[in-house]
Amino acid sequence: MAEFSWDIRSPLDRALVAGPYGARGEDGVTLIEIRNFDLVQVMTRRGAAGEMAKAAQARFGVAAPETPKAVSAGDATLIWSGPDQFLVLSKGGRHTMEALAPVFAGSASLSDQSHARALISVSGDKARAMLAKLSSIDLHPDVFGVGAAAATSMDHTSVTLWRGKDRNAQAVFNVLVFATFAESLWHTMLDSAAEYGVTISHSEDLV
Amino acid sequence: MRIVCPFCGERELGEFTYLGDAKPQRPAADAGEDAIYDYVYLRDNIAGPMSEHWYHGGGCRAWLKVTRNTLTHEISSVEPAAGAGAAKVGA
Amino acid sequence: MAGDQANRLNNGGLIDRSAALNFRFDGKTFSGFKGDTLASALVANGVKLVGRSFKYHRPRGILTAGSEEPNALVELRSGARREANTKATTAELYEGLEAASQNRWPSLNFDVMSVNQLLAPIFVAGFYYKTFMWPAKFWEAIYEPAIRRAAGLGRAAQVSDPDHYDKAWAHCDVVIAGSGPAGLAAALAAARCGARVILCEEDFVLGGRLLADAGTIDGLHAAEWVARAVAELEAMPDVRIMTRTTLFGVYDGGTYGAIERVNDHLPVPPEHQVRQRLWRIVAKRCVVAAGAIERPIVFAGNDTPGVMMASAMRSYISRYAATPSRRIALFTNNEDGWRTAETAIAAGLQVAAVIDARPDVSPAHRSLASKGGFPVLHGSVSGVDGGKVGVRKISVLLTGGARAEVEADGLAVSGGWNPAVGLTSYHRGRPKWRDDIAAFVPDGAPPGIVAAGAANGAFSLGACLREGFEAGAAAARDAGRSGNTGSTPLANDEAFSLTPLWHVKGKGKAFVDQQHDVTASDIELAQREGFESVEHLKRYTTLGMATDQGKTSNVAGLAIMAAVTGKSIPETGTTIYRPPYVPVAIGAFAGHHRDENFHATRLTPSHHWAAEQGAVFVDTGLWKRAQWYPRAGEKDWLESVTREVKAVRSGVGFCDVSTLGKIDVHGPDAGAFLDRVYINTFSNLAVGKARYGLMLREDGIVYDDGTTSRLAEDHYFLTTTTAKAGLVMQHLEFCRQVLFPELDVQLTSVSDQWAQFSIAGPKTRDLLKEIVDPAEDLSNEGFPFMGAREVNLRGGLTARLFRISFSGEMAFEISVPARYGEATARNLMIAGKAFGVTPYGTEALGVMRIEKGHVAGPELSGTTTAADLGLGKMMSTKKDFIGRVMAGREALVAPNRQVVVGIKPVDKTRRLRSGAHIIPKGETPGPDNDQGYVTSVCFSPVLDQWIGLGLVERGRERIGEIVRAHDPLRGEDYDVELCNSVFYDPDGGRQRG
Repeated sequence: MAEFSWDIRSPLDRALVAGPYGARGEDGVTLIEIRNFDLVQVMTRRGAAGEMAKAAQARFGVAAPETPKAVSAGDATLIWSGPDQFLVLSKGGRHTMEALAPVFAGSASLSDQSHARALISVSGDKARAMLAKLSSIDLHPDVFGVGAAAATSMDHTSVTLWRGKDRNAQAVFNVLVFATFAESLWHTMLDSAAEYGVTISHSEDLV
Repeated sequence: MRIVCPFCGERELGEFTYLGDAKPQRPAADAGEDAIYDYVYLRDNIAGPMSEHWYHGGGCRAWLKVTRNTLTHEISSVEPAAGAGAAKVGA
Repeated sequence: MAGDQANRLNNGGLIDRSAALNFRFDGKTFSGFKGDTLASALVANGVKLVGRSFKYHRPRGILTAGSEEPNALVELRSGARREANTKATTAELYEGLEAASQNRWPSLNFDVMSVNQLLAPIFVAGFYYKTFMWPAKFWEAIYEPAIRRAAGLGRAAQVSDPDHYDKAWAHCDVVIAGSGPAGLAAALAAARCGARVILCEEDFVLGGRLLADAGTIDGLHAAEWVARAVAELEAMPDVRIMTRTTLFGVYDGGTYGAIERVNDHLPVPPEHQVRQRLWRIVAKRCVVAAGAIERPIVFAGNDTPGVMMASAMRSYISRYAATPSRRIALFTNNEDGWRTAETAIAAGLQVAAVIDARPDVSPAHRSLASKGGFPVLHGSVSGVDGGKVGVRKISVLLTGGARAEVEADGLAVSGGWNPAVGLTSYHRGRPKWRDDIAAFVPDGAPPGIVAAGAANGAFSLGACLREGFEAGAAAARDAGRSGNTGSTPLANDEAFSLTPLWHVKGKGKAFVDQQHDVTASDIELAQREGFESVEHLKRYTTLGMATDQGKTSNVAGLAIMAAVTGKSIPETGTTIYRPPYVPVAIGAFAGHHRDENFHATRLTPSHHWAAEQGAVFVDTGLWKRAQWYPRAGEKDWLESVTREVKAVRSGVGFCDVSTLGKIDVHGPDAGAFLDRVYINTFSNLAVGKARYGLMLREDGIVYDDGTTSRLAEDHYFLTTTTAKAGLVMQHLEFCRQVLFPELDVQLTSVSDQWAQFSIAGPKTRDLLKEIVDPAEDLSNEGFPFMGAREVNLRGGLTARLFRISFSGEMAFEISVPARYGEATARNLMIAGKAFGVTPYGTEALGVMRIEKGHVAGPELSGTTTAADLGLGKMMSTKKDFIGRVMAGREALVAPNRQVVVGIKPVDKTRRLRSGAHIIPKGETPGPDNDQGYVTSVCFSPVLDQWIGLGLVERGRERIGEIVRAHDPLRGEDYDVELCNSVFYDPDGGRQRG
């Protein structure tokens, strides 16, 4: 009998070419695709808001977000994704569907989104200028601070956007985009960033 | 146009989809054909403030009841639909 | 001689004499300097004639120095970058610029079409309507092409624009349109309060009229004050200064449109950069400091090259150090016009005369006249002698009735100033008339917008600064900022005394709208013919409908209309103002969205694998789907598709069906919820089973279909058609949030989470046994038809398996997490190798569903009921569901409805075409005898002939009847037989086996 190997491929596997792109000698935008993460959508059931909140607090040690923000919880990030719902982003199998199902039994419905999204982190001097071409959200530091999140659209494509912790004193914007749209949005991102000079890479580590 | 989503804050029009008049209520199962007919087809053509259904499909996927002046596009109120963000309400 | 900048002053101006730029106009080489516009460089080179007019092909020169220019329109650049109707007055000069005059043949100096001037009587207002009435078909064939050749302006490039455009959002507290004294003062006040400020300036230099008219502000020369203000603004992090950017539109909710000409000033944009960028600016407040536009006075010959707006003449002399004329006459009805005489004298030019329509002239100007040695004539210009070589002699009608003549090579005209009321009038705001300045000023501006300075009718420098500063401070306060504004910049308030004068009667054509060749007599004619309303006047004469949107002509036009109707100007009123304020390239509106980026594209998880296999892709909504997989030697698509179908029907094949919409329906009430949205029942579906479902619209018409599986007591997995995926999600959210808020149910799109493949054919089980863990029971007993559950795959992956079939064959759908999608395609090829596994595309999928009589998009057409589709029995009578009541309406259950039926040509060699009408035999084709149409067709490899489905009146009762397929579009008419819609394996033994 034949042997089967189940290679995993990110939706950006083909499109992403690591290295510099666009204007030479510039380094305005850094794009990093984060690969192979676990992502679970948690949706509170009717009348179970209190119970769900307690379960989340007990599991993650922080309160689940009730407004558009991303909460860092050590080995997971809880990102608001709509009323009565948030996403649990993690690595290494710590907060998979299987792990979370007993935690939220009865208080929330869970839906696996681990393969449904691609995660792109955007940073650099020109990150805001580049994102202004894609996003209608005001990303001014006074308005969209660290931990701010938005369920929004980029280039007519639904995304979850949040600002992570600063890296090298620069703002980091994380974009979760639906996997089948990822390559299309990626090319649009490259087109938007090209004039500023882009550094492209991918990583297995959540930032 | 910009709509202040009660969940997300102010967002641009492109994130929303318009449905129409939010007044008509779906009749009960036994209401009869005339009531359903009115619900499906009869609409007031309002020149002024009108209650409308909008969907924040490009955002948090909440259905909203928006009161919009059809003459000026001025939006005087935005409320979530009864079942949007209702987890705190008992089942 | 041209080419040597003979009309360039030796000193002064905001040009860089160390940076000479060569350019070509109509094939001739000239030079200019950095800081020039094309117009100022042409002026410096003594070029007066720059184009031919729209209708009459009259020689035209440069009238203005800004974006209001009606005449000096050129084709800029060449080849694919050729850009028609570009204003020479705003086109920034660059090395190598190429421009050509428009609407002339063979050359600007000798233009054949200028004979149109002799035909002038027929080109009057409304001539299109009057002249080419009959016969109707002549219009398209003869009149229109001829008119298009004769009239019109520049030529489009006719090839794809090689440059890129993009769009961006910006957010601020206060956006300011214009960087003249009012705009700069507003920016300073708002920024000092701590507001986030965006300052838009359409010019490439900040300063507005200060660039030409100078003055003293806070004791400093205007240029110095501007430099200081700009430096202060640039030092503030939340101030963005955008030059080459025109704020062109005001939209609801504080959204503004602006066009930034990022690289129009370069021959070709630098690599990776755009030519233009469209901005959507979201601002809490807007200060319109867009200034005012000097208006012409209408008199005979006012379009002669060399006639120029007085302020424009000052701009060319002061800002560009270029002299349009050597000996200048000035015709003014106001104090401000006199500045041109002052400027001319200061520059060492000769003033031939000042013709002032007012009874009095100030003592200061009297002494200027005596110092300059020129006469002041009280009266009006009644005619200009010149033609294409430019102004030579000016006829003056003196106030007492006597006539005089003035010899001059240029005529500066000032009829007063019109505040730029466009932006403040875009939400149907109607500007109001102010008698003291004889102009319209903003009124009823959209919320959040205020005009300041000249845009608000304040014409003195001091007032501009005060109004701008106050407006900026107030806007910042309204936006919630409160800082120290510092003190208001101070300057003098010059007098502005004006006696209104719109039109001087005289012999010869007197132009109101120079771009559209509308004359004063056209307006009088329109009035005589009953087109008195300004909106009618506009459309009948085309006044103000050209690319300049009547910036120099509208007010004069309605003043003339007011005069002939005996009404006042405010009674006559203005037309409605609409954006954009300046022409905006379609490319800028499209931005990134062109060619392959026209819309976002969705790729299935096995896309790149399919591409490696040589698949031909088809656009299905946003998706790229593999349509078929051609093999070497196959002569056309039909051969490939037929091979794929035969391979599936005789062996096994697979197809990526990940494009179906997939929705997780969770919660205790999930079953009850589905019962309400589907016509059939799901609450009684056993865990581990799938069921086909049909949903209706509330009006009883079929909305969508698909299979839904119950994976747990409180978890259903619902699928939709590819086309309706997003809409069904929206519909279900509506049901959940609006219609049935009492149900505890949660919805999530999982379309992107799962890669899904349909595996079909008699050897499907053989293939699956290779790849599925041997412990899994795939027998009919262990995995019956419509079963749905998780299985382990060899190599350690868990998948979902659904035993559903749309091909009529034994089939399963396998669903894996999407990042394994590509591996799954590869592994299915390995697992099926021994059985001749064949990947198939959407065409083969379609053939098999038609052979099997399954309805799809063409039958779910938005007009069909469940019963029309042969699915009426699915409608539950035990529950309420969306569409239940309306589906029972008389017309929707009428016995003569068009219902789905099979159709095959009587002549088996004949190709059936979708769209053909079904007509009873022996009847004449026509609406009365039209009994339906062919919806879906395919070549059936099983039956070896073309077959199809159709919607035909009482179709199911007429099986075996021969009818006509009438196809007037393709000129075909042939006999077809109505038959059972299930062509293949009607008992369904194969898919259950």
